[in-house]
Amino acid sequence: MDRRAKKKLAGLILIILLAAAGGMKAGSFLPVIGSHQTPANTYLSGYYIENAMEHTHAANIVTAVLADYRGFDTLFETCVLFLSGIATLMVLFSKAKVKDRRAKEEPEEPVLPGEDERGRGGSILDTSFRIIVPIVMIYGIYVLFHGELSLGGGFQAGALIASAYLMDRIAPGFETRMGEIKEENMLIVAGLGTFLYAFTGILPMLFGGKFLEYEKLPFGNLVKGGAAGLHGAGILMIEIGVTICVMSVIMTILEVVLERTEFDDD
Amino acid sequence: MTGPLLCLMRSVSEHFPVLVILLPLCGILLCPLLSWIRASWGKRAVMAGLFLSAVCAAMQLGQVVKQGEAIHYWMGGWMPPLGIEFVIDGVNGIVVLLVAVISFLTALYSSPFQPHNRQKWFQTAGYYVLIGFLATGLLGMASTGDAFNLYVFMEITALSGYGLIAIGEEKGPIAAFRYLLTGTIGASMYLLGVGFLYAATGTLNMADLADRLSGLSDSPLVILSAGCLIVGFGIKMALFPLHGWQPAAHSYAHPAADPMIAGIMIKVPAYGMLRFFYCVFRENSPVMELFFQCIGIMAVCGILYGSLKALRYDTYNKILAYSSIGQVGYIALGFSIGNFYGIVGAVLHILSHAFMKTGLFYTSGALKYRYGIHETDEMGQIYRKMPLTGGTMTVCALSMIGLPPFAGFFSKWYLALGAIQNRQYFYVAVLILSSLLSAIYFFRILEKLFMNPETAHEVPVVPTEEMAEGTRPLPSGKFELPWQMMIPLAAVVLAVIGLGLCNSAIVNEVLRQTVEEVFLQ
Repeated sequence: MDRRAKKKLAGLILIILLAAAGGMKAGSFLPVIGSHQTPANTYLSGYYIENAMEHTHAANIVTAVLADYRGFDTLFETCVLFLSGIATLMVLFSKAKVKDRRAKEEPEEPVLPGEDERGRGGSILDTSFRIIVPIVMIYGIYVLFHGELSLGGGFQAGALIASAYLMDRIAPGFETRMGEIKEENMLIVAGLGTFLYAFTGILPMLFGGKFLEYEKLPFGNLVKGGAAGLHGAGILMIEIGVTICVMSVIMTILEVVLERTEFDDD
Repeated sequence: MTGPLLCLMRSVSEHFPVLVILLPLCGILLCPLLSWIRASWGKRAVMAGLFLSAVCAAMQLGQVVKQGEAIHYWMGGWMPPLGIEFVIDGVNGIVVLLVAVISFLTALYSSPFQPHNRQKWFQTAGYYVLIGFLATGLLGMASTGDAFNLYVFMEITALSGYGLIAIGEEKGPIAAFRYLLTGTIGASMYLLGVGFLYAATGTLNMADLADRLSGLSDSPLVILSAGCLIVGFGIKMALFPLHGWQPAAHSYAHPAADPMIAGIMIKVPAYGMLRFFYCVFRENSPVMELFFQCIGIMAVCGILYGSLKALRYDTYNKILAYSSIGQVGYIALGFSIGNFYGIVGAVLHILSHAFMKTGLFYTSGALKYRYGIHETDEMGQIYRKMPLTGGTMTVCALSMIGLPPFAGFFSKWYLALGAIQNRQYFYVAVLILSSLLSAIYFFRILEKLFMNPETAHEVPVVPTEEMAEGTRPLPSGKFELPWQMMIPLAAVVLAVIGLGLCNSAIVNEVLRQTVEEVFLQ
């Protein structure tokens, strides 16, 4: 380490120490975590706790705030994900893909018993993979619909379904079972998922409401429970949109990176 | 089916604030699908969205001016502290219009830069998605009345900015990575500041925050959050000691997107800072004293530093980038002067500098497009071959120096008036000195443009694989550039002259009421 680097390091440590000292001082002004008396817990939270169920039929208040009261933020959080997929693809687009991975992976060894022609992961991995993937996918869909009641929702569900694809992509070597997906096409799907969210917001505008005002959704005779039921329907629609977007963005990024990464055993 | 559409048509004027965001958003989200069907549909969808958004922004501004009061739009019909609201007043109405117009022009300007190869439909679609999201994020940042919503839009802006910088020239990815690190710190500081304010008040709506902060102005939490917000906005608007990411990012970004990145991506955070400090903390709180001093010092140092640094370079984009640091300093100087003229000068400078810098980067992109020129030394006599480009460069450069009747003169004039009214003669001296410095570096460019011998050579007609993104030969045609690039250049020249000539109308009709009632109550 030369002298300049040492000086820089010393300066950096000094800044961190100063910031830490400042942070200690500032921390004493911050409200106590979990205290009932802080403004953050007394002002709006009470209103949400008392009225969320009645307004939105969502037993989970987090879902009510996330998808309904502040649904506009969540729309753009979903857009952030879509954007990250696009940006990853655009940045890595010019980098060449690793070619002929498949040809290299098929040496002239005999196929072992219990391992079918395409699976290269060994029989244990292969079998457990077959059991796990359907369960993960069912659980993903369960998490999507369960989000209104307790923990869960679109983001988690999308990640779970994508993780099923991830296992499929990684466990049996580089051969996929569901068939390889082109990353560009996945981004079309992601765009459509996000559009479903935006469309759920635009639909009420056609029937005299504001953007994302679920009460004005035109499904009055399909959904039970009046206005609150419509809120539930709106939340479900946007959660499905979020799931589609998250799932396809994760799959895109996975594909983009996997296809351009050189592995040691390539 | 006609019923609902009629309903929307009848009530469309209520929905302007959200339509300004939604129309480009729908275009962007459907862009990959449409491009997949037919390569050119996607980009047309984004352009149509941006065009309609500009129309809506203009009509919305007309509405605000006619009503004489701000428009409030409640998302989802939830009352403000519960839900998110958009607030459009005279000042941000005009900023929204500016962003929408420049975004549309830039989207139009970009289309000759895109590959014509059908196999690469995705590159065009991805580029337009990024530029559309940049526009959406900036429009949202300017419109929103909710502190956390502003953060979400800031993220959208930043992410699309990273993408557009990374797909630029050779050094683009490194510049983008630097911006990613610094920009993330900036966004986190903003979020931290909002978090402290939330801890102190329990609300995120800006108007509600202002009401609930009025008794708390001495609280250390509020002062701490003001510090965090200065750093957060300062990084995003590239204010002097926090500008590290900016020169590289503005120099190496995608040449077609650069006008937008340099022109408006640093202006909207500046507007955000104005709104946050003047509307949330209010004029007479002790936080504002701190703000005035802090911003004043940063602005003065930034103005001098930017102008001096710009003298050092011969690369066109670098000169423009460093000059932006100085110009952002002017805007911050207006905030720190803090009286009517100061704020009006700052807002006018946001408008005029956005058009001037966008215009200069349009010319930079045009030079790269046709001749692959990066250095000012290569620009000799180029105005003979590209009269419109040369003319735009001259008008924008003269306006940047601050010569009447162009827009740049009047914003500086208002700033100087404000400083004199406050008896801050030091600021006047800084303004004059930096105008002289900018005269030096812009006349150096103009001198090379008009006096140097001709050196530029036409790019070979058959494009090769290795040819850089920005150097493609002319398609067929008599003009110096494709028409998609000529229109933005001409529009910017008209805007710079128009803003200069109509400045008193803009100040009196549009800005005066909002500045007096909202910012200086």
